Amino acid sequence: MDIRKQVPDIKGVLGMNNGGQIKSGRHKPFLTNSRKEAITAYLCLIPAFLGLSMISYIPTLSAFVLSLFKWNGMTSPEFIGFDNYKEMFTIDIYFTDSLKATLVYAFLAVIGSMIYSLFIAILLNMNIPARPLWRSIFFVPYMLPAIGVYTTWRWLYELNYGLFNHINRMLGLPPVKYLESPKNVLPSLALIAVWCAGNLIVIFLAGLQNVPGVYQEAAEIDGANSWQRFWYITIPYMSPIIFYNLLMALIINLQVVTPALAITNGGPQNASMFMSYLIYRYAFTKYKIGYAAAYAAIFFVLVGIFTAILFATSKYWLFYEEEGGK
Amino acid sequence: MEGSVNNTYTIKSSFFKSKQRREKIVNGIAFVFVVIFAAAVLLPLWWIIRSSLMSNGVLYSYPPSFIPYEWMVSNYSKTLETFKYWTYFKNTFTIIIPAVTFGTITAIFCGYAFARLRFKGKKLIFTLCVGTILLPGMVTLIPLYIFWTKIVGLGGTYWPLILPFLTGGGFFNIYLIRQFMTTVPKEIDESAEIDGASRMCILWSILVPNIKPAITVVILMLFIQLWNDLLQQLIYINDMNKITFAIALTNFTGSFGTKWNLAMAATCMVIAPGIVIYLIGQKSFVEGIVLTGLKT
Repeated sequence: MDIRKQVPDIKGVLGMNNGGQIKSGRHKPFLTNSRKEAITAYLCLIPAFLGLSMISYIPTLSAFVLSLFKWNGMTSPEFIGFDNYKEMFTIDIYFTDSLKATLVYAFLAVIGSMIYSLFIAILLNMNIPARPLWRSIFFVPYMLPAIGVYTTWRWLYELNYGLFNHINRMLGLPPVKYLESPKNVLPSLALIAVWCAGNLIVIFLAGLQNVPGVYQEAAEIDGANSWQRFWYITIPYMSPIIFYNLLMALIINLQVVTPALAITNGGPQNASMFMSYLIYRYAFTKYKIGYAAAYAAIFFVLVGIFTAILFATSKYWLFYEEEGGK
Repeated sequence: MEGSVNNTYTIKSSFFKSKQRREKIVNGIAFVFVVIFAAAVLLPLWWIIRSSLMSNGVLYSYPPSFIPYEWMVSNYSKTLETFKYWTYFKNTFTIIIPAVTFGTITAIFCGYAFARLRFKGKKLIFTLCVGTILLPGMVTLIPLYIFWTKIVGLGGTYWPLILPFLTGGGFFNIYLIRQFMTTVPKEIDESAEIDGASRMCILWSILVPNIKPAITVVILMLFIQLWNDLLQQLIYINDMNKITFAIALTNFTGSFGTKWNLAMAATCMVIAPGIVIYLIGQKSFVEGIVLTGLKT
């Protein structure tokens, strides 16, 4: 112990602790390699710092601050405490509508696109001809601009001459009000989100191709049927990817706003009055900036709750290879 | 049957034969399903193309025809009379090109710092950045609007739509670049460093060429993000000469609610650039997305 402690001292006396080189000056140079490295890092990270402060955390905090004011964007803002929230929870008739629309839509769109994309990915993972071609086809809707997608589907859902009602007529069914009835509008819009889920398919497919065949074969020799193999090997192995896709789909679909902007304007009878759309409406058409900020704050809490639930439950169903495989 | 598999060779081989046959049948069924679903996915696209080439009279007749008997290409020229396609095209790409360039370059710098450099507070900064993925954009919308229009005074210009992309265009892109850079062996950097290459030289001439798939995905993601946006463009653009595809198509289909053939011609023209870009970069896009799934 003693000797080991003394060695560096001796080296220090000889001026040799600088990587074996003899020190020329008495002071350590200010720009050591590690300092240089750190400075480079901070310079490289300037965009990230800007992103963190200017477009993420400060605006989020500002939304909470703004929610305590009454402001039309023109005159000077007036501090009113929690009155915006009080109004929202008690008087505002749109609040429950928007909560319901957002949650129902997100539920349908997330569940629908997860099941659809996993199903298609499983099909594509089988031994079928021209797999890259099919994969590309399923990815196409994801590449279309949202507005193009919604105009397209507005035409497909059209009451008299749309594709779906043509099909209904051929089958002898009465025409369906896909977008005009409060009951149908959310499932109809969610179906559009499912159609666009090409990216989820591609990611699921990549995950499936990565499941090692060894486990499958071992289970098969042990007599597991294909359903058991799927449920007990593929699904646990895929769980990190399922989690990732689920999280992304949830965050994106809770924030839905474009269909309301592009087609429904929140109707019929507020059935598609998504919370994001309502925030837009209050802030940019009614100029109730503070009130819209209060909605944004509640929306933040809502998204936070769902993300937290997903993370909290993930430990019960999320398996990583280290635990599940070895 | 399962129990006796291991006992005799004959049973085993017949088991595998029947298994092979069963596999063939299952794959056949899967293929049929894939074809049906692919057709269903493409049907809406065919439907708008076909609608855009029909006269309104044919469009509203029953039974509907799947293929137009008279190809009304004139619908497109009629649409272009009021739908100033090339103006919107120019406007849209005036936003997309700088935004995607800024986003990609800044994401590369940040990804590099997280992947390769050691510095104080790395973990904290990284965690804060991950948190931004979960921050809903709707929450920051109003404060950012106030910031750009009231404080910086850039209302009515494209800058509020472009400048935010100087931050890597969202942490997901930075994360992706970082994940890919960590897979490049560090020895390559070190040997270049011994040869006297600077850090920036290593980044741009060694690391960047090595992570091309990730960069393709980042470019694609940024493109899609801008391509899909309607809300922000609606908020910041109020000059009719400056409107983008998204706003123009919303207005056009609103005002031509009943002339569906013209509305569909406009829609076809608006989705065309995306399809062209997809067809050009199709292979690397899909493969890039595949890699994204594996790295995250």
